[in-house]
Amino acid sequence: MRMLLDPLRSAAEAAAGAAAGAAAPQGNFVTDLLAKISPVEIPWPLLVLLGALLGSGFFLLLLFITPYAMLAIWAERKVAGHIQCRIGPNRVGPFGLLQSIADGLKLLVKEDTIPAGADKLLFVLAPALVLASAIAMFAAIPFAPALYFTDLNLGVFFILAVSSLATIGVLMAGWSSNNKWSLYGAMREAAAVISYEVPLGLALLVPVVVSGTFSLRGAALAQEGWGGAAWYLFRDPFVLPAFLLFYTAALAETKRAPFDLPEAESELVAGFHTEYSGMRFSFFFLEEYAAMFVVSAIGALYFLGGWSFPGLTPLVEHLFGRGWIFNAVAVGVFSAKALFLVFVMMWLRWTLPRIRIDQVMTLGYKYLTPLALGCLLGAAGWELYVVPLFGGGR
Amino acid sequence: MVAYLKNVWAGFWTTLVGMSITAKYLLRRPVTVQYPDERLPIPDRYRGIHYLEQEKCIYCFQCARACPIDCIEMDALRVGKELDWKKFTLDYNKCMFCELCVYPCPKDCIHMGKEFAFVVYDRRELDLDLLSAKGLTPDAKERLAKAEAEKQAKAAAAKAAAPAGAAAPAPAEPPRPASPPAAPAP
Repeated sequence: MRMLLDPLRSAAEAAAGAAAGAAAPQGNFVTDLLAKISPVEIPWPLLVLLGALLGSGFFLLLLFITPYAMLAIWAERKVAGHIQCRIGPNRVGPFGLLQSIADGLKLLVKEDTIPAGADKLLFVLAPALVLASAIAMFAAIPFAPALYFTDLNLGVFFILAVSSLATIGVLMAGWSSNNKWSLYGAMREAAAVISYEVPLGLALLVPVVVSGTFSLRGAALAQEGWGGAAWYLFRDPFVLPAFLLFYTAALAETKRAPFDLPEAESELVAGFHTEYSGMRFSFFFLEEYAAMFVVSAIGALYFLGGWSFPGLTPLVEHLFGRGWIFNAVAVGVFSAKALFLVFVMMWLRWTLPRIRIDQVMTLGYKYLTPLALGCLLGAAGWELYVVPLFGGGR
Repeated sequence: MVAYLKNVWAGFWTTLVGMSITAKYLLRRPVTVQYPDERLPIPDRYRGIHYLEQEKCIYCFQCARACPIDCIEMDALRVGKELDWKKFTLDYNKCMFCELCVYPCPKDCIHMGKEFAFVVYDRRELDLDLLSAKGLTPDAKERLAKAEAEKQAKAAAAKAAAPAGAAAPAPAEPPRPASPPAAPAP
């Protein structure tokens, strides 16, 4: 188990450590492997560079994000189809499962256009920045007790900070496109993110107050148990509303309907990515689905008990101990929870109409922020005054 | 304050109601018909591309005369009782599918068909030829070939009988004159 997991972890630690401004790592399994199998001695700066490239972003992207995004795009189209009594993609492969691969190939070979009058440097950099933030977000997410890339003690804030990088990318894309629709979309994105970061952070502080740690892994470990009663969702009357507030704010953060104003296709053509084509466009697409998964994963880890499932995971732990079987089951349970939240996002997208920008602002400032503040105060009060009554507390 | 909280609750509740409605649709059977593979039944009186029974047509021009926009053109030669067809075109650039060509036909050989998709790359291609076979129809060809073969056979028989008759003392009966020749093929 350790042999299998350690390389992954060390690689991601290298990536996340570098991203978080920590000291440079000694090396990871890729550098070790390269040093071992290479007939000639590779100079260490090159080795570190290769290790960082192969061991972190590339590995993660290849192993998880791309297949997940392809599947999610397929699922989104299927959900959209069936909600409208259509079938959805069903031509390429069984049930149209290969549709995303076909689309990906198409996007790969499409012409890469840069509009005249565009700010070329920013235009080219924007999708890269957006994609980089999408990949970096995954660094702090634990998939199972032993399968995590890095266990940052400020995990949630790291994810929130890195996800905000995508907003800069969107702003860059909108500004550099030399297109009024793109600029409108980018400004809306900036407005929405600035307004919704506040309730998002406040709502996330509720489980932080409950668990006493910013580490996602620590919070998930604290929610293990036989009955699921340890899930923070059922802990006190303030966590459930906090979860709903978090989910609503996360929808706005990830530019999902009904908050998809940055790319409102009925008003702004395609918003900030109007001028993008081919692979650059698909980077934005990838980021959207990666961000959906990340916020859903945070929701699952902080509110829905992480990888614990009543009756199932404790049983596996009882039978097999906390070995690789337990970890495999944990990955399955955790992914199922996160993907269910992703499905709810799709479900909401095909249920609610897009709201106006002033309604977005009203909802953010007049409803979500005060309610999230109230929840935070309530949860803190509960932890301070009610939990000690039952003999709990720290 | 109460109105505010009521508003929050209403927003939450109506979202749930909407989601339950879409969930119902999500679980419903799709109504899609996979068009090129499967088609909805077309009503019998649908007026699509015409269908011509070439064998029955007698080249009487009734349909072309009935056509209010003169989109039917035909050309044929008579070969005895048969028709040697050159063309029977219907210009679908003009045709308005009024079905007026169908009623006057004395042989009931032109009908409105069910085919509605006839996409072409050039509008000249919309001047469709309704003939299943140019020239003579296969049936007519067969009949003519049969008649020709019979004629040949009879001529051969007569030829064979003539010298035999000269040698024989009394022919049973004189050879019949050959049947009138069929009109020459153009």
